[in-house]
Amino acid sequence: MKICSVIPLFFLYSLFLWGTQIAHGELSKSEMSRDEAIKLFADANEKYLQAIKLIASKNLPEADQKLKEATEQYETILTGGFKNGQIYYNLGNTYYRRGELGKAIVNYRRAARFMPRSVDLSANLRLAKDSTEDKELSTEIPAIVKRIFFWLFFLNQNELSLVAISLYVLLMVVLFFSNICKYGGIKRIFIGISSVLFIVVVSLGLKIYLERGVNHGVIIASKCEVRYGPGEEYEPKFEIHNGAECVIEDEKNDWYRVYVKVGVKLGAGSEASAGEKTGNEVRSGWLQKKYVDTI
Amino acid sequence: MRRYKFYCCILISVVIVFGHVGKLCAQDIRLTATVDQNILTLGDQLRLTLTIHGTQDTAPPSFPVIEGFTLLYGPSISAQTRNVNGVVSVSKGYTYVLQPAAKGKFSIGPSTVEFEGKMYSSQPLTVEVVDKSRSSDPQAPDLEKLVFVELSVDKNEAYVNEQIILSFKFYFQKGLPVSDINYSEPTTKSFMEEKLGDQRQYEEIREGVLYNVLELRTALFPMMSGELAISSAKLKCNLIVSQRRGRNTSSDSYFGDAFFDDFFGREQKRYPIERATNAIALSIKPLPEEGKPKDFKGAVGSFDMEVSTKTQRLKVGDPITLSMSVYGEGNIQTIQEPALVINKEDDFKVYPAESTTQITNREELIRGRKVFSKVIEPLKPDLKFTPAIVFSFFDPHAGQYKTITKEPIPITIEAGEQELPIQLTLSHDKPALAKRQVQLLTEDILPPMANLASLRNQGHPVYRNPFVMGCLLIPAVAVIASFMLTRHKERLTSDVGYARTRRAHTVAKKRLNGALSALHQHQQGEFYSCLSKAISDYLADKFNIPPASATEDKVIVLLQQRGVKDDIVEEVSRSLTDFDRRRFSKDSGTWDEMEHSLKRAEELITKMERQLS
Repeated sequence: MKICSVIPLFFLYSLFLWGTQIAHGELSKSEMSRDEAIKLFADANEKYLQAIKLIASKNLPEADQKLKEATEQYETILTGGFKNGQIYYNLGNTYYRRGELGKAIVNYRRAARFMPRSVDLSANLRLAKDSTEDKELSTEIPAIVKRIFFWLFFLNQNELSLVAISLYVLLMVVLFFSNICKYGGIKRIFIGISSVLFIVVVSLGLKIYLERGVNHGVIIASKCEVRYGPGEEYEPKFEIHNGAECVIEDEKNDWYRVYVKVGVKLGAGSEASAGEKTGNEVRSGWLQKKYVDTI
Repeated sequence: MRRYKFYCCILISVVIVFGHVGKLCAQDIRLTATVDQNILTLGDQLRLTLTIHGTQDTAPPSFPVIEGFTLLYGPSISAQTRNVNGVVSVSKGYTYVLQPAAKGKFSIGPSTVEFEGKMYSSQPLTVEVVDKSRSSDPQAPDLEKLVFVELSVDKNEAYVNEQIILSFKFYFQKGLPVSDINYSEPTTKSFMEEKLGDQRQYEEIREGVLYNVLELRTALFPMMSGELAISSAKLKCNLIVSQRRGRNTSSDSYFGDAFFDDFFGREQKRYPIERATNAIALSIKPLPEEGKPKDFKGAVGSFDMEVSTKTQRLKVGDPITLSMSVYGEGNIQTIQEPALVINKEDDFKVYPAESTTQITNREELIRGRKVFSKVIEPLKPDLKFTPAIVFSFFDPHAGQYKTITKEPIPITIEAGEQELPIQLTLSHDKPALAKRQVQLLTEDILPPMANLASLRNQGHPVYRNPFVMGCLLIPAVAVIASFMLTRHKERLTSDVGYARTRRAHTVAKKRLNGALSALHQHQQGEFYSCLSKAISDYLADKFNIPPASATEDKVIVLLQQRGVKDDIVEEVSRSLTDFDRRRFSKDSGTWDEMEHSLKRAEELITKMERQLS
């Protein structure tokens, strides 16, 4: 095969990828430039800090105004197509200050996808989760799983992709030299790199599935009734509160079919004491889209 | 070398022997009489052993006066030398076997022996001869007499915390093989215990019978007054008795010989034995209130005290370590710190003492030493002495309290420098602060992030970037290309047919260039030769056949087999015929015709290249 015949193939492949992105609507929007984003971000941060000082001086109405302005500026950056973990984190902080726990948690969760190693983020998210009314709700992955598959939780999607690409390039270099040099030890290196690459690619696929394939949502209303069917005519099944997290299974008109993990008291007695054991139970139902913000 | 070793051995032996001789000379001489049983039946035999301890160089002891027994045989003489922890003891035994002649109690009179002009005599014994065996099994030993245990204390009345020696003795007749000894200690609630030394092992004569004794000793310290009890101690063991194998006693006259017993072996029978001692009741008196010193802290025993200090010249605030050593008999562990007699509270800063306990003797009684290291700091420059030290204890032998007072030690104190805030130890007056958990005062979210340098758009995943994904093809293409190139090179060197096929077109072009140059030089024969060779050699390379065998007929057949179009095959045939004809005839054609032939050959080769590739 001649090089001349490969170059058109390369362009065709790139065109195909570009086309798929356009089909997804990702490149159709005009994005905010980095300079604009930085300017807005710095301005919003300044307003947030002013709000904190006003809160300290008990000037709450003006503080709330500053927080609203900061929120709008953060939202402007994000709707402008400029997405960054710091912006989501700071936006989560402003929502937390304004008492909107659900939106704060949503934004912390979004930030966590970009900054999985941020200790500050974990602390704020934990605090926000502890402040929710439905304390038994738990969608956290067990710590043992996080330790075993540490790379999956230590790296974000892009970092994992870069690791995979680096390994792929390294593998190709090894293959290239193995064609030329015929060195026996290269086979072992090839097996090692290809094994690691396999693991990384599978992990990347899993991460993409978990973050994009499964829709997670957070309740952003103070109280939300989960019904047996997609409509007001169905009876309420149970209710969850601001900040509760759910997994969206399906949607129909203005309704989401969700399931949530709720804490239930173990044992037959209905009047259980505070020291009684509790367990998790998965309950599903339908709730209106306006009550949920997807992560 | 061997010679030196020999002399060394002799020298060492002489030293050992003479070293022991001194000890032998110092040993007491005594004569003992023992029997193997003091109650026996008329059918039994009595073994009387007269043992001279301390020497083996004497005449046999006189045979005692014995009523009611007849001498069967004896004496059989045995000499014994024992070395226990370097102490050598010697003895010589004379054993007589006696047959009782009548029932009743008989006394065995004292035996005498003379050694270096002195007469030594044994103690008299009493032996009872009864009518018949008390046991149903005549071969079974009288276990009650053979093995027994005793539990005793050195005193039945004592004061609280006074040392009491509890002794457990396990007696078993000398020579009895005892195994699997399992000792259960007595329960000593309300006492503190300290083990006294290792297990003791010695011999003791009881009612004329020689026993081996195992003794375990414990020091007890009663912790409360009143009637206290020590429960019984228990011991389990197995007594191994050799018996003849189960043969008919009537035939024993012949086989009962010791020779046959040794030859066929004796049956070893294990008799499990369990023995329990009596419980012991102790009367423990409280310590008298009368005469109790103020500084008395519960020490009971016989003690003394030493006090010392390393530094006697110091500055204000410098620490002095007083070493107070209390030693003696009694419960060393529970000795409390001696008291300091401080006249004014602000004279010295006193720190808690640290103590170390050392038990120096555990053989007879608990003796030991407890050393208290107490740090004091003189707070005034005009102090001349350390505080006096007082230690009080109750002496149970004297039945009264005693107080040891150590006079103050003179010290010289210089004016001190500024006190450094170094804390050595904590005093009782100022107890250490209790550790407590750090409590969160409030909980709040952490501040916003403002790292502008890292503020980049993370919204586009790398795997969706068409440029990046396109670039991923480059290394793959490079690898495939390198693979193909390597393979091509390998085939060129290893596969001749492949190499000829690959280069056929290039070689044909060269020949056509040769034809062109021949054309320019007006060499008609050479021109047509080059054209003919270009086509025939091209086909020879393509079909991997020798150039000489690439005749017109053969190449046409091969072209047809390869499925080349008929018009091309015909043109090849026609061209080869035409070129050969013109090559050897005078009618080589005009310049234009030759140019046309060259062009036709070029086109033909190109067509064939397309068809045969």
